[in-house]
Amino acid sequence: MFDAASQEHATLARASLDQCLKCTICETQCPVMAVTPLFPGPKFVGPQAERYRHGDSVDHSLDYCSSCGTCTLVCPQGVKIAELNSVARAAMKKDHMPVRDQIISRTTLMGKAMHPVAPVANWALRLAPVRWIMEKVIGIHRKAAMPVASTQTFSSWLKHHTSSTQPTRGKVVFFHGCAGEYFEVETSIKTVELLEHLGFQVVTPKQGCCGLALQSNGLFDAARTYVRDLSAQLDIEPGTPIIGSAASCVGMLKHEAREIMGVDDPALIEVGARVRDASEFLLDLAERGELPLDFTPVPLTVAYHAPCQLKGQGMGKPALDLLRLIPGLTVVDAEATCCGIAGTYGFKKEKYDIGQAVGKPLFDAVLEVNPHLAVCDTETCRWQIAAATGAQVVHPVWLLHKAYGLS
Amino acid sequence: MTDTVVIGAGLAGLSAAIRLAEAGQKVTLLSFGLGGIQLGQGTIDVLGYRGADTLVERPFDEFAAWATEHPDHPYSLLGADVVRDSVDWLAARLPDLLVPGDGRNHPLPTAVGAMRPTYLVQPSMVWPDPTSVAVVGPAQIKDFYPHLVAANLAVTAQVEATGYRIDLPARAGEAESSPVVYAKALEDPDVLARFAEAVLDQIGDEDAVVLPAILGLHQCVQPQLAALLKRPVVEALLPPPSIPGMRINEALTAQAKAAGVRVILGSKVTGFESDGSRVTAVTLHQAGRDQSYPASHVVFAPGGFESAALVMDSYGTITEPVFDLPLAGLDRDDLITGDYWADQAIFAVGTRVDQSCRPLTGDGEVVYENLHTVGGLLAGAIRWTEKSGDGIAVASALRAADAILSPTGTWSPPASPTDQPPAPEVVQTLQEDAEDDADPATTPSPPEEDENV
Repeated sequence: MFDAASQEHATLARASLDQCLKCTICETQCPVMAVTPLFPGPKFVGPQAERYRHGDSVDHSLDYCSSCGTCTLVCPQGVKIAELNSVARAAMKKDHMPVRDQIISRTTLMGKAMHPVAPVANWALRLAPVRWIMEKVIGIHRKAAMPVASTQTFSSWLKHHTSSTQPTRGKVVFFHGCAGEYFEVETSIKTVELLEHLGFQVVTPKQGCCGLALQSNGLFDAARTYVRDLSAQLDIEPGTPIIGSAASCVGMLKHEAREIMGVDDPALIEVGARVRDASEFLLDLAERGELPLDFTPVPLTVAYHAPCQLKGQGMGKPALDLLRLIPGLTVVDAEATCCGIAGTYGFKKEKYDIGQAVGKPLFDAVLEVNPHLAVCDTETCRWQIAAATGAQVVHPVWLLHKAYGLS
Repeated sequence: MTDTVVIGAGLAGLSAAIRLAEAGQKVTLLSFGLGGIQLGQGTIDVLGYRGADTLVERPFDEFAAWATEHPDHPYSLLGADVVRDSVDWLAARLPDLLVPGDGRNHPLPTAVGAMRPTYLVQPSMVWPDPTSVAVVGPAQIKDFYPHLVAANLAVTAQVEATGYRIDLPARAGEAESSPVVYAKALEDPDVLARFAEAVLDQIGDEDAVVLPAILGLHQCVQPQLAALLKRPVVEALLPPPSIPGMRINEALTAQAKAAGVRVILGSKVTGFESDGSRVTAVTLHQAGRDQSYPASHVVFAPGGFESAALVMDSYGTITEPVFDLPLAGLDRDDLITGDYWADQAIFAVGTRVDQSCRPLTGDGEVVYENLHTVGGLLAGAIRWTEKSGDGIAVASALRAADAILSPTGTWSPPASPTDQPPAPEVVQTLQEDAEDDADPATTPSPPEEDENV
């Protein structure tokens, strides 16, 4: 059952289900329903089933929802379909939460555990027997993409870093997310170097995890604590933009924590209004004529995948428009709905095959456009695409970094 | 900066966006959710009925009389030629999806076996005028009852019609499939062959086969199926989701993106900024905050009541919530009547516009110089009984786009033949001269041309 705050929130979220006209647009776009009969679709488990739940969830097909949020994005009536499903799933799993879901949703914990022994951990995760045991014991599919721990954390790089340029444009706060601390360190470094190159003074507070993976696994209590702590850490330098290089975590701060878990701390609302995805921030500069366009040509053709949780922010695909400013670079929008990982969904042994089927149109597009390099804004999606295609998959700032001659 | 912000991704919004972007404008299209094309039938209506029982056979021939009877209807503003040119423009853009119009409406079987009139159909929907038909429905597709359809077609289409059920799951373990799943499954030639076998196993020697519109999403497999069944195959309309509608929606959206239109999906336009006479920006309620989208022009294509572009509060007050535009059609006390099938005058509520599709006040003043409303928001039409929504959408969208593209930002009618100079040869000579004089320095300036003419 819910605590009082989430019960009230659930009631508010439920109000949107009366907007449902049963128009079926969500069903036509749901990437999971398209590949498996195990999930009866967002309309059915969402606004339809919700009328009968009364706080209890008994329809286990709901667990096959990947929480990608496509249904909410495409709904022309404003029904919070994915949010309703997330709340209902949390209620359903409350009393029998799998140990696996508790582990894989704590990214910081995984990072802290793997980083000191990174070479060993990375090596172990490549061993078939280790993966076989992981699948049998905790239910992480043996073929699922695993993060590669970095031997150097972003914090340790930052400790020895001094900007080589004089700030001319004022401050920005940098939000790297927990993956940016332990796994995607290079993306964090390139984002800082890029912002400094553009003349910003980059302030990076010590920061924890946003709790997104906990939330999507239904661990709301822990997720609320994480996102509140993070909001307090980022709520410095009033009025200063907060620039994030982890697009899905940016979405958590902007709206998901509020819309799914009912967190309404003033610090979260403040941070949510100030936080910008890196490409969103840079495109906004470009629109105002404040982004230098002295790019070195990057003669490449790459596929770009806009992650679900970036699309869910309702701002289009900023990276696509931004990268198209780089001469020589041809960016092909893969136009895929979802890569299939959906946070931690595609890691799970019972959902791995579904995740791979969801991602197949995207994998095919990447292999067709450029089997060596592709672009995507979020970490787990990059791991998923890289594992399925063999391509190197990079954050959009990597290409900007190169186009400015910084790499 | 964006030249034009288009609000809405239905037939009107996409048509306007494509026209403007292909003319070189920088266009941003804002849409709260997917557009409504896939909730329609994947056909293009122009005018299907005049009054409840008068079937229209040649819609454009009715326009003059229609305008006299309905002076406030959007067609009276736009005229037969513009509407015809507009739907022809659409058909030319979608040569694989729409059969070019020949001035006549097509009869089209629906999921209840009525014959619905529409102007442009997809090639898979052309009615072959059979004397007998087999109506076949897979048990896994809901909302299509072949025996009901057949019994009604016997009356509505004057054919010998027989209903048949086949039992062929689109994928293992599924008792009921969404039309999307079924349509994608049939794109696989092996599945299609098994489907054809199951149909042949049931039907007799009927002239043609009527099936629900699930014959392929990205690739329509009706021709292949017709070959396998050795007789014409007709797709009959289903309730949403409409596979033929999805075909058109996906094709037009792809054309808009290819033309450079920036599409922003999932956020609602909640307000705007203005300098008094012009809209300078629209406000998009994005995740976390409101974002301003400045633009030189705005095309407002949000639909009507069905998409909450018009709302009624509990006191019965009807408003347009984004720009708070003046609404026409409110001045009657029978907006909603108890007769479900009556016209329901509330659906004719909307904006009254000038020749450039700019909303007008009750006094006939333009509300904002650069704001154009198109499609379902225009006053004066009851689209669902007239079967007129698509024609209004495309024609008003192109009219607004052409107004925006003209140097004055307004549309003016082309000179009528009586205004033309009497000697056409002279005009031709002048035009040829102008074309020959490529050097701008020697090209006569427009005022001189005017003097000559």
